[in-house]
Amino acid sequence: MRGLKAALLGSVMALAAVIGTVPKEAQAQGQTLRVGMAAQDVGRLDPHFAVSTIDRVVVAWMFNGLVRFKPGSIDPSEIEPDLAERWESSADGKTWTFHLRRGVQFHGGFGELTAEDVVFSLRKSGTAASSAFAADFRAFENIEAVDSHTVRITLRENVPSLLGILTNYSGGYIVSRRAVQERGDAFARNPIGTGPFALDRVTPNQSAELVAHAQYFRGAPQLARISYRFIPSDASRDLAYQNRELDVNYGRADQTWLNRTRQIPNTVVDVFEPGELAILNLNTRQPPFNDIRVRRALAHAVNRPELVRFRGQDVTREAQSLVPRGYLGFSNATPLLPFDSNRARALLAEAGHPNGLTIRVIHTQLPEMLTMMQVVQQQLRRSGITLDLQVVEHATWHQQIRQDLSPLVYYSAARFPVADIYLTQFYHGRSRVQTPTAVTNFSHCDQADSQIDAARVSTNLEEQRRLWAEAQKILIENVCGVPLLETLLVFARRDNVDYGYELKGSMSLGPLITEATRIR
Amino acid sequence: MIGFILRRLLAAIPTLIAVLTLVFVIVRIVPGDPALVILGDQATPEAIAALRTRLGLDAPLWSQYLSFIGNALMGDFGNSMVTNRPIMAEVASVLPHTIDLTVAAMIFGIIVGVPVGIWAALHRNGIIDVGARILSLIGLSFPVFVSGIFLLLAFALHWRIFPVIGSANLEDYGDRLHKLILPAITLGLVMAAYITRVTRSAMLQSLGEDYIRTARAKGVPWRRVVWVHGLRNASIPIVTVVGLYVGILLGNSVLTEIVFNRPGLGKIIVGALNQRDYTMLQGLMVIYCFLIVVVNLVTDLLYGILDPRVKQA
Repeated sequence: MRGLKAALLGSVMALAAVIGTVPKEAQAQGQTLRVGMAAQDVGRLDPHFAVSTIDRVVVAWMFNGLVRFKPGSIDPSEIEPDLAERWESSADGKTWTFHLRRGVQFHGGFGELTAEDVVFSLRKSGTAASSAFAADFRAFENIEAVDSHTVRITLRENVPSLLGILTNYSGGYIVSRRAVQERGDAFARNPIGTGPFALDRVTPNQSAELVAHAQYFRGAPQLARISYRFIPSDASRDLAYQNRELDVNYGRADQTWLNRTRQIPNTVVDVFEPGELAILNLNTRQPPFNDIRVRRALAHAVNRPELVRFRGQDVTREAQSLVPRGYLGFSNATPLLPFDSNRARALLAEAGHPNGLTIRVIHTQLPEMLTMMQVVQQQLRRSGITLDLQVVEHATWHQQIRQDLSPLVYYSAARFPVADIYLTQFYHGRSRVQTPTAVTNFSHCDQADSQIDAARVSTNLEEQRRLWAEAQKILIENVCGVPLLETLLVFARRDNVDYGYELKGSMSLGPLITEATRIR
Repeated sequence: MIGFILRRLLAAIPTLIAVLTLVFVIVRIVPGDPALVILGDQATPEAIAALRTRLGLDAPLWSQYLSFIGNALMGDFGNSMVTNRPIMAEVASVLPHTIDLTVAAMIFGIIVGVPVGIWAALHRNGIIDVGARILSLIGLSFPVFVSGIFLLLAFALHWRIFPVIGSANLEDYGDRLHKLILPAITLGLVMAAYITRVTRSAMLQSLGEDYIRTARAKGVPWRRVVWVHGLRNASIPIVTVVGLYVGILLGNSVLTEIVFNRPGLGKIIVGALNQRDYTMLQGLMVIYCFLIVVVNLVTDLLYGILDPRVKQA
């Protein structure tokens, strides 16, 4: 018996010894910023393939565009020089000339930025085989190097915001031509840019480690390193933040999370743009939504203020149009149909559904989207509309909704903040799913095509605004979609983390870490 | 012995090919397009078609299959479709973490489960036995993500003995061991509970046998009766459970890896599944299958050591 007890005691003592002798996690991390992100891993770090939030956040620290949004802002009127120090355009707005800064160095000794790098990058962005954002460059006719530091872009037709396409966002990032050509497909895991931080290494499923780019053209960054850690579990990430193992933490757009996190000592929670607009897109070509009375009934059954109360007043706001608030061209001149359950029931009866109707809807299992859809499901049930939710895995959902397998599609998205992008991708006839030029037009609406097309090529801003407002009016009156709410981005940080600017918005969907960011 | 091992390894080849074929078919049957996942929701069908061509997904299935099997037999699993990183390099970078976790959890399960099971058997229906049974029931009932969070709350947040982020530097053995303890306990708890129950049951059966009575009648010391005669004869079912459970541990490690932010095969496989990374899934399946084959082989060898009758058979 003594042997057994000794074995048990020995086991406990061995464990205790290990705990006692092993050094604890280093407390002081120096000037390394530790950022926790809700993700399994990064994908492709070629910025022209950075489509997921986790990839977008980190490429923004490594790359520049010809121009950039002012740090902390997503206001297109605040776009400022980045790699280009100045530019001019022809009177018809179709020819643009950019003059590059001199002495801008790429990471890893890849030399000075030249016009050839810019031409190569923009052509790469405009090619479907080498970029996920090629469609944005449809209007580009020619991109050429005038001299070593001058680039000329010629457009086939005017675009709503050429500078917008060339910002530090999506296809606007400039890469090193030599690095892409030398590394080929490996560039996606060994990217070379001109940004304040360079990629040091990626440990799969663990972290991406970045180091300061000492030759950064705006000056050497104040931080020495960034450790970008992939922590998919919300609970674990929050615990790591509470335990001071993270300085910046990806937050949940949820009032409860927000309130709880604000209680953590020395913590600041940033809630910022762009808002992700959630819309119930209704397929107007298929029953039951080919009957506008059913679409109106559904619109009347939605209670937007209740949705906002459910999700949280600080992180969401009621949608007001089929374009998110704050986007250039947003208009709330046409009011949305208000919540009115009796009116919804009357419209259903008029449409031949006196006992209500049941609609089979395919939906994703992503927790945040599923929860919201379940709330909508309960709201609609009160007005006699039963949603039979078929919950599938996220990638499956993306594929099936593009096959028109769901007459109602709950979709939530943020885009470049100009109405043209949202209206074109979601409500232009060319973008209808199941067509060769499809993007995300699940409603199959095309009634506002002429207004959207005319606004895109107009050179008069007032004219553009009027056309975009008219397009929104047509689409809202046709109930192509039912806007629900806009959800903002949320990140928590220690109060000693100073981004170097006020964070009100970020097109990279996360805090921009610049040369001025520091830990006080 | 060497002949036996070689025969077992050769017998595993058809199993591996069957698994490869099954995985190849399953990942392609599951809806979801890797090209759409890579390009994002703003991609046009034209861009998706271009990428599918580049990834070789538009080739006939039989051609994809033959190319995959041919490359796999040469040990080449290619690159990840999503990250473009070499699969073997990615697996090699996380495999030590998974092996650390699995082995440590197994050791924890054995060093807790076997002594407690014996102790409970020796005090059948006493307070120790009842306590062990209740504790093992609790251990079996707690999912990893609950016990893991409880352990983190207590040992990381409250007492600050361990970190929350459990990804360690492989070259720093102290750090590696330190960050392994909580995850190993979390993953090993269920195994310990299971082994406790099996050990208790096997020991009760063994202690009731005639050879135990004979040994006691001959005046063999009680400690020797328990450890040598009792435990050795009870060890076959215990080894069987441990062998089976190592396979389960490999599969279950994913939740522990997520809760403790550890890199590992489980985490990669979940990511690959979400992103429809066909090549990565195929490579990982082969490795999992190979590990299970090795574990089964080791279990069989242990049978021979513990029970000479097995070796003779």
